[in-house]
Amino acid sequence: MTQVITPVSMELHHEISQFLFYEAQKLDDWQFRDWLTLIAEDIHYTMRTAVNAQTRDRRRCVQPPTTWIFNDSKLQLEKRIARLETGMAWAEEPPSRTRHFVNNIQISTTELEDEYDIRVNYLLYRSQKEKDETFYVGMRKDRLRRTGNNDMGWEIANREIILDQVVITSHNLSILF
Amino acid sequence: MNKTIDIQALIDSKNGQVTPSIYTDPEIYELELERIFGRCWLFLAHESQIPKAGDFFNTYMGEDPIVVVRQKDGTVKAFLNQCRHRSMRVSYADSGNTKAFTCPYHGWSYATNGDLIEVPLEPRAYPQGLCKSKWGLQEVTKIASYKGLIFGTWDENAVSLEEYMGDMAWYLDGVLDRREGGTEIVGGIHKWTIDCNWKFAAEQFASDQYHALFSHASAVQVLGAKPEDEQKALGSGQTARPVWETAKDALQFGQDGHGSGFFFTEKPDANVWVDGEVSDYYRETYPEALERLGEIRALRLAGHNTLFPTLSWLNGTATLRVWHPRGPNQVEVWAFCITDKNAPEEVKAAFERSATRAFGPAGFLEQDDSENWVEIQKILRGYRARNSQLCMEMGMGNEKIRDDGVPGITNYIFSETAARGFYQHWANLLTSKTWQEAKAKTDAYQKTLVENSKETA
Repeated sequence: MTQVITPVSMELHHEISQFLFYEAQKLDDWQFRDWLTLIAEDIHYTMRTAVNAQTRDRRRCVQPPTTWIFNDSKLQLEKRIARLETGMAWAEEPPSRTRHFVNNIQISTTELEDEYDIRVNYLLYRSQKEKDETFYVGMRKDRLRRTGNNDMGWEIANREIILDQVVITSHNLSILF
Repeated sequence: MNKTIDIQALIDSKNGQVTPSIYTDPEIYELELERIFGRCWLFLAHESQIPKAGDFFNTYMGEDPIVVVRQKDGTVKAFLNQCRHRSMRVSYADSGNTKAFTCPYHGWSYATNGDLIEVPLEPRAYPQGLCKSKWGLQEVTKIASYKGLIFGTWDENAVSLEEYMGDMAWYLDGVLDRREGGTEIVGGIHKWTIDCNWKFAAEQFASDQYHALFSHASAVQVLGAKPEDEQKALGSGQTARPVWETAKDALQFGQDGHGSGFFFTEKPDANVWVDGEVSDYYRETYPEALERLGEIRALRLAGHNTLFPTLSWLNGTATLRVWHPRGPNQVEVWAFCITDKNAPEEVKAAFERSATRAFGPAGFLEQDDSENWVEIQKILRGYRARNSQLCMEMGMGNEKIRDDGVPGITNYIFSETAARGFYQHWANLLTSKTWQEAKAKTDAYQKTLVENSKETA
């Protein structure tokens, strides 16, 4: 199950990295509508549960059943943001202060000339209310597409989020990854 | 630890007051593990999760890890997941299939029927002999299954599962018995912790429709389509508005610690937050449900429920969950998606999508529930706060027995009959040495409740 990493130019690596940092900044700055402009119309934004499998099951790629945690279209992402805007989304009143760290960026070419697969490790720090702190750590698989739909020239066509915890030690996931 | 807590004094169900130290006191929590989680019938697993011999599922009874396993003869046994040698966990995977449970510490191995079958170096390490038959896994005392749900209790004197559920079974059947073939669990389980006492969650699902209007105001605003919307948010079959905006009447049930609430609807329209495929499915299967359950329950596609102490579910939205206690200040939620077994695969997938959208840690509704409970738990660190009585008076004295076939002690949906009953039964269990004693106390409380309401009627 190893992913083939096709090297891309330093220039492209730099451009895509800068885009990912910009995208993270939009979330950290609570500019959620601006963030939406970076999201493709056909995005599938997902997270599934993690599980512990027996050794022999793991070796033959069998695991206990999993389910969605996030399974969003762009419309649903827009609803999440609209919810925040009501002023009555109590999980985010006041909004969490977040810092999205994106690193270990690996970029691969794809079957499409204007799309790239990106694999990153992320660390998402969340500070809430008076002194609540949560760290979310995991891996993300993004598909980026060149586009004329926004000023940045890129959009996120797919996002698969892996959160490493089996039992999530956070009372809710009211933030975006 | 020698102070004696007067638990009954903390629960004043007659005057509708509770003292919130019940949510924080470590001594009370220890007593709960012994007298609630050590004695009540607790949900363990769904039959569909372990269909074949050797299939196992790991869960908890209170804080005790439990492995539930299908036997060769088709029956189900459950064991404390604890090696008898040095207490190590003998099964760590969430679920799977196995011939034996082998402890990773020293290698003691147990058959799926719990027998200790292999002890490494046995003749050399135990030259005096080891009576292996004495050291099998500890078996959960009683196991019983109700329409696909497997329960267990440690108390050999506990009443039967059917008697334990009492009238609550009628409400549970509304989910389990809609169609021929029963139900099954779809997909995996949402597991997450909330830093709050387990009783907030269990009580809310027993007794609290009231919070939905305000706590979930944001979700209602953004997920609810307007009736005239051609392009409804989640699909053409979606119900336009939340059930509480359209229903004419509603009720709450509260008895033996259990609780439930729902609205009487006129059409088999599911809750507003489900996919169109789910709404359509409920309309299409309504005739079968009507025949099996009667009109009231066949139409009941929303509402909340708790089977005391920690099994909760919501009708229509397919979420069923257990609130595993983790000390007085934390609960671990395990939320399952439950659907009719005979539903088409694409409908099951739609149920799973719908359950995820509304519930689970990222659910549009569930996010805001946990936020409330976490903040409450923080406030109750205060000495003054945790000793200040809370108002639980809603609908007091309006309890009644209905004559339309809906069983048990009921009230209008916006009441706290089920909450008062939940805490009174909780106190009765904590202050009683035996099941029979606790049951007698709860029966006496419920008798006055119904008599009082007759006098006021």
